[in-house]
Amino acid sequence: MVFLKQIPQFLVWMLLLLLLLRGFPGRRRAVSFWSTGGFALGVAGYLLLARLLPVRVPLGIIRSVMGGSFLLLWGVAVASLYRSTVRDFPLLRLDRFTPLCAMVGSGAAGLMAGGICANQLPAPDGSLLRFLPFLLLPLAGALLAVIARSVEGVVIPSYAATPSSLLAAVVALLLLSSSAAITLDLFSPLSMKVMKGTHDFVHQFMESILIPDHLFIRPEIWGYIGFLFGKEVGFWGGMIIWFTPVLLIALAIWLEPLPSVAQFRQGARRRLLLAAAIREKKHRMVIPALALVAFAAAAYRSSFPSVEYWDPKPLAVTATPAGEILIPRKGEVELEDGRMHKYLYKQGDKEVRFFILMNPSGKLTVDLDACAICKPDGYGQTEGMLLCYYCKTLIPLDTVGRPGGCNPVPVPFRELEDGVHLDASSLVNSWNQTVQSTTRSKEGGK
Amino acid sequence: MASIIIEAAGLTKSYGEICALKPLDLSVPEGEWLSVMGHSGSGKSTLLNLVGGLDRPTAGTLKVGGEDLLGRDEDGLARFRREFVGIIFQQHHLVPYLTALENVMLAQYFHSLPDEAEARTALERVGLGRRLKNRPGELSGGEQQRVCIARAIINSPRLLLGDEPTGNLDGSSTTMVLELLRELRSQERFTVVMVTHNQEVADWGDRTIHMDDGLLVREERKVF
Amino acid sequence: MTRRRWLVHLIFRALLYRRGRTVLLLVVLAMASSLATALGMVSFSMGKRVADEVRKYGANLVVLPESARLDVGSGGLSFGAITEPAYLRQDEVESALVKSGIAAERSCHLRGALRFRNADILVEGVDFGEIRRLLPWWQLRGGWPAAGEAVVGSDLAARFHLKEGETVALDGPRGEVKLRLSGIVTSGGEEDGLLFLRLPELQSALELKGQLSTVRLLIPAEGGSLRTRAALLQQFLPKAKVTEVRQIARTSEGLLAKVKLLMLLVTVVVLVSAGSSVTGTMSTTVLERSREIGLMKAMGGTRWELLRIFAAEAFLLGVAGGGAGFLLGCGIAQFITVSVFSASAQITPWFAALSLGISVLLALLGSLGPMISVFRLDPVRSLRGE
Repeated sequence: MVFLKQIPQFLVWMLLLLLLLRGFPGRRRAVSFWSTGGFALGVAGYLLLARLLPVRVPLGIIRSVMGGSFLLLWGVAVASLYRSTVRDFPLLRLDRFTPLCAMVGSGAAGLMAGGICANQLPAPDGSLLRFLPFLLLPLAGALLAVIARSVEGVVIPSYAATPSSLLAAVVALLLLSSSAAITLDLFSPLSMKVMKGTHDFVHQFMESILIPDHLFIRPEIWGYIGFLFGKEVGFWGGMIIWFTPVLLIALAIWLEPLPSVAQFRQGARRRLLLAAAIREKKHRMVIPALALVAFAAAAYRSSFPSVEYWDPKPLAVTATPAGEILIPRKGEVELEDGRMHKYLYKQGDKEVRFFILMNPSGKLTVDLDACAICKPDGYGQTEGMLLCYYCKTLIPLDTVGRPGGCNPVPVPFRELEDGVHLDASSLVNSWNQTVQSTTRSKEGGK
Repeated sequence: MASIIIEAAGLTKSYGEICALKPLDLSVPEGEWLSVMGHSGSGKSTLLNLVGGLDRPTAGTLKVGGEDLLGRDEDGLARFRREFVGIIFQQHHLVPYLTALENVMLAQYFHSLPDEAEARTALERVGLGRRLKNRPGELSGGEQQRVCIARAIINSPRLLLGDEPTGNLDGSSTTMVLELLRELRSQERFTVVMVTHNQEVADWGDRTIHMDDGLLVREERKVF
Repeated sequence: MTRRRWLVHLIFRALLYRRGRTVLLLVVLAMASSLATALGMVSFSMGKRVADEVRKYGANLVVLPESARLDVGSGGLSFGAITEPAYLRQDEVESALVKSGIAAERSCHLRGALRFRNADILVEGVDFGEIRRLLPWWQLRGGWPAAGEAVVGSDLAARFHLKEGETVALDGPRGEVKLRLSGIVTSGGEEDGLLFLRLPELQSALELKGQLSTVRLLIPAEGGSLRTRAALLQQFLPKAKVTEVRQIARTSEGLLAKVKLLMLLVTVVVLVSAGSSVTGTMSTTVLERSREIGLMKAMGGTRWELLRIFAAEAFLLGVAGGGAGFLLGCGIAQFITVSVFSASAQITPWFAALSLGISVLLALLGSLGPMISVFRLDPVRSLRGE
């Protein structure tokens, strides 16, 4: 059952192996050995770190390595484009180091794949039953490596992998693999960073040129500025950053000059060589195309994650004539079960959504179901995190209740014996302020 | 002694009951001009088709340019044809909607890449530099056959096959086409295998084999 | 010249050479795809229109006086309710709502006729605040009316050449009422033929204090089904009729579904016959070109390359036919919707994809059989002329 869920991961791992085998045709043995070893080591390392340290640490390591390799891909992409146009670029003459590359590359890829796969398993808690999958995982990885080695010659025809396209495909597949877990995903944080960056830039810019909010700027202009604040900017900006390296690598292959055939007297010979070179070039585009598909799949999976959220339907609450809302500590819902409980309060035609949550340190907190930045799409709860539906930011449960950033806006409350007491009017005011300011900048001055 | 380009042993071809080619042994050295003579139905066209990779023998071995043609599937034969063989037919088979130039470029397309300048040069070599843009319907029989020759040699084949290439031409055109072939052969050094039933045409070759009822009956070598 | 450009060139030459047959194929493909597109467009726009019409009611319950009848249709004016006046009492409705405990947005309407330039025109008294909430699709040119002002429907404005800012004098039972027109409203429905003024003003002008002709209610979806709540409200309003608006929509949706089914059948028949005529034409072409195909194979073209040439030819035909079909389809759809349904067709670029897809698929499927014979053709036999 646990392994059924892992099938996509295994497929990716298999593809990864096929690619590595294809990328270092002379060193199939070293590739299979190091990548399988790396995989096992990755699983073991993850297990060890997750048991000894908070789970944040291995996750952080995987994320930073993935981020780093993505940056490396950017560097390689730019360099290979440069090389294909200027011909000689000493940094990429790695031919001498091929054995080392094969070893380190497949080892690192295996390590990451192992870590990511291990992360997908239910967290170990010391019992043997939970521990068993972690033992089986390296075995499955090794089995798949054996299968991949025997299949490699048959499955993929003579599509050659250039070093840069190999790197692109490996990184893409690892990113695809890691996009399955919302805590490891990179695309959504990337687009969120772009969105926030633009947001801050526009803010700073507006302040620096001393344009007060409404005085000179007409509503139409707000419409355009509002666009810069929207999710779209983040999404498209993220897309550009996400896909450019692969496209650059493909472009580099495309721009590589055809071989010189002037020395041959026979026209037929010349044409034959040129046609073969063009065909070969097309074949070399296959792996970047595969990488592109993997990148797209990762971005898709990240935008529509298959994670299940705890997202309760808001319960309607009413206020006493004195304007106080009481939510009992026990009763219909158990407030202190560590889960988010959403409520809906209506005053006239105003609706306020808020939630109550006991954070891991055991304190109750009451917050609006909206933050000070995004459109009020609300939050969902995943393991140890809240997720903002609009910008897909993850908020650790410890920090819920603190103001700022994409955190939900906290609401003052009094905690008494019978439950949580809220002031209806301040709740409505807080909602109005938050929602007004966020919708104004989002939808352009309306 | 030049190397052997066509090497056939026990070559047989039958269409159902009919045996078009009885076991035949043949070897042709590179650069030779071989004429194949015989009445219609004597199996000479069948021999040509087999050697040109258009058809597969029923039995026997056949090696052309060192390639074993028996082990190839249909697409493998097609690849063999486009790189090794140029064929000239009796009816000047040209694509009716393409100009002379484009007909030549079509052969380039199947071989590797179309190259207009090279195709133009080839047509100039066969004396059609001024009829590049004409369609086959606007060309005389001799001119059409010259387009076919340009098309057949454009990919620098090692083997040029002619299936009655002069069969539909009058005397002067025939001489012209054969002169042209001789001239091109001296430049390009390809081997010619030409099927004909005309003794005069056959006499242009270095060697003539006579066929009858699918059998090689006589062989005569030109004495210089 | 690259191989791809040469391939396209070759195909164009071939298509131009057999001009008549090419045109025939294009016409067949264009006809089939245009018909499919047009039918798709018509049913799409009709679906949207019915949905719009349903949405126009914004409200999901309507409270009417017992004797009046609810007229829902495509904008036909009904004077039935006016010749036989029956009214709801505003306070009764309010109290019924409170008693039944139904929390709902509501808008109260009073409809009547006033004389204007020797003609009876329909006027409606409303609360504009409620209107803005319940009928948000109203497009208003000008401003929302203040006291002593009114808005006029666009059709009515056109009929009497009324402009915003103008003052109109209406004759009622209580003498003349002067109203300044603050704006012109377009809703695409019945409202375009009405004049709207503030409810209390119309009530006093018609001497119908506290009377209403319709109350529309928008009941939130959560909490119990609409029908039970309609029944609940009915208990408290014995003299009125509480109707679900969705009931009305359901009949038109059913009709639409039948029309769509019919269209689908017609489309299938058209596509099948077009496909078979493509097959016929393509087979003849392949038969005629067999010598040429054999020649190409003899020159060294593999079976797959030949297949590619013919598939590309079919594809290009399909694209051209689909493009033409889309344009033609837009025209047909517009014609059908205007002449039959008296509405404008919804033309969206997505239908271009549909049209291209249908045409290309038809061309490729239709030439599947001929292409197989291209694949299997023996060069030796075809060159010999067999």
